[in-house]
Amino acid sequence: MLKEGKIGLAEAVSITTLLIITKIFYSSTAVVVKKTGTAAWYMTIISFLTSMLLFTLVYILMKRFPGKNIIEIFQIVLGRFIGKSLGLGFSAFILYYSAMSLREFLELLKAYVLPYTPPSLIFASFICVTILLAYLGFEVIARVSYISIYPVLIGLGILLILASTYYKVDNIKPFFGYGLNTTMYNGVMRSSAYAEVMLLAVAMNTLKDTKTFKKAGYISLVFGGAFFSICLLLYVMAFSYTIGSENLSGMFQLSRIIYLSRFVQRVESLFLFIWVISSVVTVSISFYMSMATYCKVFDIPSQKPLVYVFGILLFTLAILPKNLSEVIEIHMIVIRQYSGIWVFGGPIIVLLISLLLRKKGGSIKDEKI
Amino acid sequence: MRKSRLLICLLLFSSLVLSGCNDLIEIDEMIYPLIIGVDIGVENKVRMTLQYPTYKGVTGGAIGGGGEGGGGGGEISKTGELEGTVITTIEASTLLEGVNLLNIAVSRRISLTHTKMLVFSEEFARKGVGEYLAPMMRYRETRRIMHVVVCRGKAEDFIKTNKSTIGASATKSMELMVTQSENSGLFSKETFIDFYHDILSPSQNAITAYAGVNDFNNLSQDEPPDNPPLNEYYNFVPGEVPRKGAAQREFLGTAVFKTDKMVGYLNAHETRYLMMITGKLKRALVSLEDVNKPGYAIVVDKRIGRKPVIKGYFEDGIPVINIKLNMEGDLGAIQSRINYDSMERIEELNRMIEERIKKGVERTIKKVQKEFKSDIFDFGYKFAGYFDTIQEWEEYDWHKHFPEAKINVEVEFNVRRTGVMYGSSPILDSDYEE
Repeated sequence: MLKEGKIGLAEAVSITTLLIITKIFYSSTAVVVKKTGTAAWYMTIISFLTSMLLFTLVYILMKRFPGKNIIEIFQIVLGRFIGKSLGLGFSAFILYYSAMSLREFLELLKAYVLPYTPPSLIFASFICVTILLAYLGFEVIARVSYISIYPVLIGLGILLILASTYYKVDNIKPFFGYGLNTTMYNGVMRSSAYAEVMLLAVAMNTLKDTKTFKKAGYISLVFGGAFFSICLLLYVMAFSYTIGSENLSGMFQLSRIIYLSRFVQRVESLFLFIWVISSVVTVSISFYMSMATYCKVFDIPSQKPLVYVFGILLFTLAILPKNLSEVIEIHMIVIRQYSGIWVFGGPIIVLLISLLLRKKGGSIKDEKI
Repeated sequence: MRKSRLLICLLLFSSLVLSGCNDLIEIDEMIYPLIIGVDIGVENKVRMTLQYPTYKGVTGGAIGGGGEGGGGGGEISKTGELEGTVITTIEASTLLEGVNLLNIAVSRRISLTHTKMLVFSEEFARKGVGEYLAPMMRYRETRRIMHVVVCRGKAEDFIKTNKSTIGASATKSMELMVTQSENSGLFSKETFIDFYHDILSPSQNAITAYAGVNDFNNLSQDEPPDNPPLNEYYNFVPGEVPRKGAAQREFLGTAVFKTDKMVGYLNAHETRYLMMITGKLKRALVSLEDVNKPGYAIVVDKRIGRKPVIKGYFEDGIPVINIKLNMEGDLGAIQSRINYDSMERIEELNRMIEERIKKGVERTIKKVQKEFKSDIFDFGYKFAGYFDTIQEWEEYDWHKHFPEAKINVEVEFNVRRTGVMYGSSPILDSDYEE
């Protein structure tokens, strides 16, 4: 059994919230505006409501097996082989998520700030920090998240206030974007953008009880939903749907146009800090979670021997995409639009099976191989 | 264990300080053009002119001074040096290629990160700037908040006259010059990001500042008449203002675009009315002819009292726009010495100014509707809300319907303060016309 320590509600909320909101710094904003136009700000509310519903179903599953993490539940309900395979799939997916987040960060960093630095150098320095955090364990990552979320939120808040001279309410007209059907469809599909909340199910053993799981999940979803909605609303108000869909990093572009006076301008360098902090923490959390899932599948008591191997895997996966277009049009679509089918869908199917088979509580040892 | 921890800490620290090494460029290894000028090319698509500081230290009251024989005396030298800056021109297929080509002669890397202004020649702007804007927008270094200007004549000639006459810094001079729009309302200012946004917008059209080069030969040399006329309409185009001294380049009015092509311009007066409608007028000192005493001027410092209220609706399928302007101002001068600042007459003055503004606004909108067919007032947004989806709105094509829109203008003006005087005593002279 992997020893991960215990974290409180605040740390749990920080971890999931940071994971959810960090994507606002990436290409997500422009992609959402491209798909739904002026309706982007409430499309994300549809996504949030969908993810709330799906999370509730996962919570029902977790409640049927108190004290068990999702990997253990898979094994209890589906048997060890299928359960472990499903768990392994989760581990692989989280590693893929981590690698693609890292790659997207790199692409944006190179596009805006460090165009001539070799990607491997950026990867190496980034992965070094990630490995260190993962080596030190979940409790450390949780504390780092808890500390980091404040500068990230305050920094972004300041950025949004400084850019207020560009906000024009008229830019959110026509109100229904590219049509209600398009908004609804994308809203439901983009619930994947909130799928990070499922990491709480993997880290269930570190939480006090199922109620903490529920609370942390709901709080981070509500917070993430409100955050995305406000950010997208202000973003569309600043750029409108026309150039709003062209920016590689919407928030970074917003920081670049801030001009209050001759002395208050060019503040994008400050923005870089919060961008890098949130990206490092996000990749570290997902990287650790991938290893933790792997350890839970194979009953490995410590993640420490795995960090270097997983670090190399992270690097290898991150350099796989050929170009930025591949990252945005394939990998980010998979993660932010379709991953919900797998991440939420898997546990929900398990819930249905457990209801059908009337499985509740119990332990893995009760199951026949 | 302790050693390995120390090693990890060292590695982490080095990753913090070394990761940017490949992109490290010392600040004096780069040059930062202040202004980019774009003209139509002769042997290639564009002729691009850059002006950048020389870093030669302050001599003769300008950045870099220009050095000996280097344009320090206000004249441009053979090497393009002009008062602490260098002006260089090249022809290329694109603007970015032009920047790159200049590396054959400029000893530092050219960075556009601090560029203050992008100047298009009028001839170029009338042909369309779209194909040159998109690559600029995509380029990492392009400064989104630089200002876009259209100049009469060649952009190259405009840049050749761009020098600081006050203070040492050409950069500061340029930045402050643009903010003069807020102090006078005589010309528009538009940043690159706003210009690009407006060109793509289905709800509005783009504008830029309109500029020109004054050769200082416009002041009439004729003998002044006994009673020169009071001309309250400042109906000049940039470059033709009767004045001498200060910088030769001057900004006056607004260049009007339809999609990415310039279609005309507004003079200074019309620019002020445009700014009143869009709510951007910060301050405008205006001389009005006193209707009660023709030939005498009343000077009013106008500003926007409340944000303009603009409502749009459809009447029998025709767009109708109601504009409510709430303006206010302070009296600057009353040449006639009529006591307009008294309670009895201040309303009369208010009505007089309201009437002028109303007529001016209506005339400006009509001109833009008829001549330019370009919605530079952002009226389109007031109708976008009547359409459910973006597709429906784009299909309606506001740009096509704008010229047929009915406009109703309502103006309220209030003189708030009367300067540092309250009342005017008559001049007791039998020759003075009462």
